[in-house]
Amino acid sequence: MTNSRDRVLGAVRDALLRAELPHSSADRPFYAVPPEATGAEDPIEQFAQALVALAGEVHHAHSLATISDTIIGIARASGASSYLSWNEDAIECAGLVDTLTSRGLHRMAYDLPFDQHGRDERIRVLAQVGIGVTGADAALADSGAIVLASGPGRGRLASLLPPVHIAVVKRDRIFPSLPALLVARPDLVGAGSNLVAIAGPSRTADIEMTLTHGVHGPKHVHVILIP
Amino acid sequence: MSESTSRGAAAKAHAEADVAGAAFHTRIDTALGDGKLRQALSMTTGRLATGRATAFAALPYAEALRVAAQRIRAHTIAHLDRYLVEFTTNAERAGCRIHWAETAADAARMVVEIARASGVSLAVKSKSMLSEEIELNSALESAGIRVVETDLGEFVVQLAGDRPSHIIAPIVHRRREDVAALFREKLGATDEEVATIPAMTAFARKTLRDQFVGAGMGVSGVNLAVADTGSLCLVTNEGNGRLTTTLPRVHVALLGLERLVPTSADLSVVLQLLARSATGQAMPVYTNVLTGPRRRGSAADAGGGEPDGPDQLHIVIVDNGRTRLLGSELAEILYCVRCGACLNVCPVYRQIGGHAYGGVYPGPVGSVVMPGLEGLGAWSELPQASSLCGACRDVCPVRIDLPRLLLKLRAQAVRQSLGPAWLRLGMRIFAAVATRPAVYRHVGNLVGRIGAAVAPDGWLTRLPGPLAAWTQSRDFPAPAAKSFTQSWRPKRGAERTRR
Ligand code: SF4
Repeated sequence: MTNSRDRVLGAVRDALLRAELPHSSADRPFYAVPPEATGAEDPIEQFAQALVALAGEVHHAHSLATISDTIIGIARASGASSYLSWNEDAIECAGLVDTLTSRGLHRMAYDLPFDQHGRDERIRVLAQVGIGVTGADAALADSGAIVLASGPGRGRLASLLPPVHIAVVKRDRIFPSLPALLVARPDLVGAGSNLVAIAGPSRTADIEMTLTHGVHGPKHVHVILIP
Repeated sequence: MSESTSRGAAAKAHAEADVAGAAFHTRIDTALGDGKLRQALSMTTGRLATGRATAFAALPYAEALRVAAQRIRAHTIAHLDRYLVEFTTNAERAGCRIHWAETAADAARMVVEIARASGVSLAVKSKSMLSEEIELNSALESAGIRVVETDLGEFVVQLAGDRPSHIIAPIVHRRREDVAALFREKLGATDEEVATIPAMTAFARKTLRDQFVGAGMGVSGVNLAVADTGSLCLVTNEGNGRLTTTLPRVHVALLGLERLVPTSADLSVVLQLLARSATGQAMPVYTNVLTGPRRRGSAADAGGGEPDGPDQLHIVIVDNGRTRLLGSELAEILYCVRCGACLNVCPVYRQIGGHAYGGVYPGPVGSVVMPGLEGLGAWSELPQASSLCGACRDVCPVRIDLPRLLLKLRAQAVRQSLGPAWLRLGMRIFAAVATRPAVYRHVGNLVGRIGAAVAPDGWLTRLPGPLAAWTQSRDFPAPAAKSFTQSWRPKRGAERTRR
């Protein structure tokens, strides 16, 4: 007896004998990033402009003190007293958690339990938190997107659940485009269970093509560029 | 039957929006007679088409990218068996469970079984045309599992018991007042909560957050799957795709068996074009790549697993007519990445909208896909709903020659004698006349003289018999009094003399 896998694959193989497919004979690889397209004059400026055009906000900071000043400023403005975040070493900003705690902003315990009930309870609590803080593995100059890989201490919800997302991003991680990034860092796909590129705040235009932010994901996205 | 048990039945009851049961020309008339619909259509498709054009103008190497994307898809489809094996092997290695569904019913049953096995009573769904195709919602609801659409447009569609009318903009046919009325009536929203579009959006966020937090299962579609890593790529702007695939402990992804690319570099090429084609954005807000479920820490790294994500990731690979398409002269349509660009530029779609097509997939792509998946039988008129102007081919990011495929279908319809009997008879008479020069000349002269007599001003406003349909909404130019041969003869004679 054949199983459904063999039947579907068998049907595909049979069909391929009859398929009429134009343009299918080309050799791989199909595309290389043209060298001219890889370097903007000023990728930092290009990235910042693209993100601002998407209603994101860009900040510059040079030290732990200025990073935490920026985060505290955003937290005050949005009335948040706690935050959801990646681990400090994943953000690559030693001392950040202590500094924020000393200034009255508390980090929420994060990891979801594996049992159903515990998981639901934790999610209910986390859903109330006002801001999320993460690092980023890369940023894309052409689109203003930041790229985040999940992993231990690098949860997905920090950039998803709270209405405000703050990402601390190293300036030298700005790549020209997504193809350029994936050529340079093919290891990123599959490094964790999730790789996400985030281009500005959540948006929809479903009702009468009217652009509205924050329908499901964060309504505000801040990127703090650091050396 | 509970209120929303069968979306199909509810939709039928919704007389204003659902005319799928009626004949195609009746559905077209209904759509054309709906001034508000046409206004909304022209605004939305116009904006999306302009957005696309602007985005492509700003993209360096846009044509090179389109050619590359076409080759990637063509190559993948030509070796689909190999890439399916590679993809599923790698996805399983990453911890996914693979299910193979031959039919829509199989696919829906498999999702229900997964939900039952995990004791799920509430499922959240992010937009998936494939789930419409397999009528998943009614299958889940018949099994007593509540399912909530979370894409804002789809959420409205579900509340209204309606069907989406555009691949990308599902409620292009509804105005803000319709949405406000629905939120008030079905969800008890206050006047303040529906006062503006941002207020309605905030209300939807709040309502849907509660569903997300309580859901045991998330169901999503897949834009593209990557063979060499076993990853799934899903793009959304709202973020509901991320919530659906992160919060519930079980994630079920529905994958049409053709939606693969070989590598993540190939994926990035197609992604350069997808959002630009769909909405004119350089990138969607969220490009989400999933490789297996949440990773648990091993003893070796001291409990250092991932803090969140689903415990289970199921991938249901769906055939449902796709291998039938693959083994046909229409196989090229399987390159499609469902961006919706061809709808926005189609002069027919722009006038009649999605519901008039009667199938899950409307517009030029739907006119090939619906008959391709299910056979021409019920869909023989769709390939006629095109002016063959080629606008769809010009915008398609994977350069599918849609007019060529529509012509193939028209030819099939003729071969299968699916046209009306009078048309077939007429064509046979025409063939008999046109292949006999003497008869042709004679008949031509006769027709010309009749034309001149009945339409002295050069236009026929009413044709007899079955031809009347032509003049229902337009005039027919009368045949010229003198045939081409009659005019040509003296001219050619004159030229010869000059030389
Ligand atoms: S046929 Fe081409 S343009 Fe139309 S939806 Fe598919 S990919 Fe987009």
